[in-house]
Amino acid sequence: MARKMLIKALPASWDVEISQAGNGVEAMEAYRAGKAAVMFLDLTMPVMDGYQVLEALQSEDLNSFVIVISADIQPIAQQRVKDLGAIAFVKKPVTSEVLEEVLRKYGVL
Amino acid sequence: MSIAPLSDDQRDALQEITNIAMGQAGASLAGILDTFVNLSVPRINILEVVQVADSIGRLVGHDKEVTAVRQSFQGYLRGEAIVIYGQDGCKDLADLMGYDEDLDGAAEQELLLDVANVLVGACLGGISEQLRGIVDQPGTELSFCAPSIMAECAPVDTLINPDNLSWTHALLMEVNFTLEERNFISHIVMLMPEDAIDKVRGVIDQFIASF
Repeated sequence: MARKMLIKALPASWDVEISQAGNGVEAMEAYRAGKAAVMFLDLTMPVMDGYQVLEALQSEDLNSFVIVISADIQPIAQQRVKDLGAIAFVKKPVTSEVLEEVLRKYGVL
Repeated sequence: MSIAPLSDDQRDALQEITNIAMGQAGASLAGILDTFVNLSVPRINILEVVQVADSIGRLVGHDKEVTAVRQSFQGYLRGEAIVIYGQDGCKDLADLMGYDEDLDGAAEQELLLDVANVLVGACLGGISEQLRGIVDQPGTELSFCAPSIMAECAPVDTLINPDNLSWTHALLMEVNFTLEERNFISHIVMLMPEDAIDKVRGVIDQFIASF
């Protein structure tokens, strides 16, 4: 559901291929397969959470724009993910306006 | 009487809505305590009331003693929220909020009630706010009764007595909050009767259909 909500909020004009991952381990597999030029990352996930994914990405040279999409809106959480290399933090529920703004700001769109 | 279990899609959607609501609850708690709060992935289940006690026991540990606060709500949804604190919960809370060691019984209870009130309000507020966005109809407000202590240092298995509940099934929505470098852990559990469960199910189906 979280993924459907996000995909619906992505700009319709954005010509990209979308891969989905149900947890951090699947996300890392997609990343290693070169499918994550941009990664939308949840923090609360089973098996491997978002913080662990960011740490793993850092140890594997972080070749991806990571935008964290999270319900955890604590300022410390936002600071932590940025310290771990995420370029942006978007709070849930995500809207297409906010997403487009973030994507434009970082020149991904 | 039996009630249909949630489909995978319904559970998934409700889990996400609860996740968002609990994020707000966690942020409120973090603000009060000035510390970082870890949130779990919400667990959602429809249970028979007789299973509720066992399910809570499994979450908390059957041998544990707990202190619990209950708060009922009505309006668009009707039910009862229960905030369960582990044994060390109160001491750690008091400590974090800068009380001295000798918190008396009344002050301790007040603290537990206040924290429960914040968690329940933020959580249900978050859920009803999102549901309002889906159903787009008036009258989705909730009102809350004052919270009360339902158990103090009592064995977890004695917490919920099915004979005292007026409904046969419950929608169990469970998240736990833990604090870093502290023993504090609290669980929040929402119990709703069948008619409210049906309402939630209907709204969730609309929500799913909108994607």
